[in-house]
Amino acid sequence: MSRPGRIRAEAEAALRAFARRRTAVFFTFGFPVIIILIFGALVRTQPTGGGLFAEPAAFYVPGYLGVVVLFTPLSRVGSEVARHRDGARFEKLATTPLTRAEWLVAQMLVNVAIIGLAAILILGLVVGVSGAQLALVPLSGLVVLYILAGVALFCGVGAVLGSLAASQDGVIAASNGVALPLLFLSEAFLTAEMLPPWVPLWLSPMTYFARGVRLLTYQRAAVDPLGLGPLGNLLVLAGLALVVAAVAARALPRTD
Amino acid sequence: MAPVVLAEGVERRYGDTVAVDGVSLSIEQGEVYGLVGPNGAGKTTLLRALTGTTDAEGQVSLFGADPRAIDRNRLGLLPQEFSPPGRLTAREIVAYYRGLYDAGRAPADVLADVGLEGAADTWYERLSGGQKRRVCVAIAIVNEPELLVLDEPTTGIDPAGRRALWALIDRLAAAGTTIVLTTHYMAEAERLCDRVGLLAEGRLAAEDSPAALVSAHGGEPSLAIETADPAAVDALATAGYQVSDQREVVVEGLAARDVGEVAATLDRAAVDYGELVWRQPDLETVYLEITGRRLVRTPADGLGTEDGEPRRAARGGRSR
Repeated sequence: MSRPGRIRAEAEAALRAFARRRTAVFFTFGFPVIIILIFGALVRTQPTGGGLFAEPAAFYVPGYLGVVVLFTPLSRVGSEVARHRDGARFEKLATTPLTRAEWLVAQMLVNVAIIGLAAILILGLVVGVSGAQLALVPLSGLVVLYILAGVALFCGVGAVLGSLAASQDGVIAASNGVALPLLFLSEAFLTAEMLPPWVPLWLSPMTYFARGVRLLTYQRAAVDPLGLGPLGNLLVLAGLALVVAAVAARALPRTD
Repeated sequence: MAPVVLAEGVERRYGDTVAVDGVSLSIEQGEVYGLVGPNGAGKTTLLRALTGTTDAEGQVSLFGADPRAIDRNRLGLLPQEFSPPGRLTAREIVAYYRGLYDAGRAPADVLADVGLEGAADTWYERLSGGQKRRVCVAIAIVNEPELLVLDEPTTGIDPAGRRALWALIDRLAAAGTTIVLTTHYMAEAERLCDRVGLLAEGRLAAEDSPAALVSAHGGEPSLAIETADPAAVDALATAGYQVSDQREVVVEGLAARDVGEVAATLDRAAVDYGELVWRQPDLETVYLEITGRRLVRTPADGLGTEDGEPRRAARGGRSR
């Protein structure tokens, strides 16, 4: 079987196994719905203005997309690594032609499919529930590439966490511990002015994701202090994804 | 022809624990080689060293090359604790693994080989323990490997299923597949293996064909007599039998055809006895002789067979 054939076999099996875990499917798609219902419809801004969620609804689209781009691959791939290790599946795979990099690419493809669907759901809900008015530009289609790069990046981080953590619940705890600061110490939901100036927003990949997606969907007061533009922020994200994926492919278990 | 598997001075430590301690072995093409030993003897770690799935000291080569550098299409592995995705059917799982290799057999044919035609469309997690293990064996052979490595392939499988797998292994060996397996079951090792290696505390304590090992180390057949009657030893000794009387009364060096005469001797002396247990020397005996340890402990601390039951020749004598 060729390399694409092996990746396809792995991805098909992983997608089929996921689709049959009803709880996983429900919460994968239910999680962003809950987030949008809470923050997009229930949370109210201060009467005097300011505070959380005081910006127009469209400002938060990168945040909502970022939630699934960040949390879902982290926990899914991390848990999958733990399941593989517990079931001696890596030991088996180490004796097949499938390489660790191919395995990771297959997991990325599965997550792209799942998160792609979740992103469509999110965009529909954001517009329908919170009345967000997206300001689309000719390059807005690049949002798809942002999602691809983000998913690839956080699949890699999830694989590293899964390789380091000793158990499935350890993976989940580690995922939450990593994801929350990455999300909230970035510009995904907050403006830079809402955080102390010493917080290094540039360290979180979610900052580049948020800035880029905001430039593509929210023209009013979109922030891009580094002047990278939509393509530049995308390149940063894609570069990080490549580096982390390479590290993850090396970190995946091959031996006991 | 170069050996398919060659190991020289293989050693694997986990901290202060030595799991495999300087094992050397050579396995030829088409041979069925069994690694036998109790839990913790180092069987699984040695298999991992042979397949390159653990980092070990010493030299290992498969087909003349480093295990991690060989064409992986040539190797089939069944890990001991292997558990494929639970919510795929047996057919889907075998097809998935088939898709990872350059070539292989149709999943339906492989599942038929392991006797799972009727359960091919059942989710793995809903199969019985024995059926699950058979799916795992199917996965290991789906690529038609030249070298098949099976870590306790029949654990959890009922006796009928086990015999079906033995027949499958026979067919694979007859077709030229080199097979390395581990097992707890002495009858399995004797039945399947051209050679066995007895592992104790990570060391290869002995290695030869089962028949040669039993002949060299197994001693004579014996007959154990369940009795508390002190007259038994006198009656048998008087009749010329070689009798030991330590934890139990045992007639040593007895031919099978003479069992009836022993029973007659006991009856003539009016000895009160229960069961007569015939003990044919086997690999268990050999292992005990060489290492001083038992391979399998049964509830009665008797000899283990493939079914975990002691062999019983007769129930007779007087009722008590």
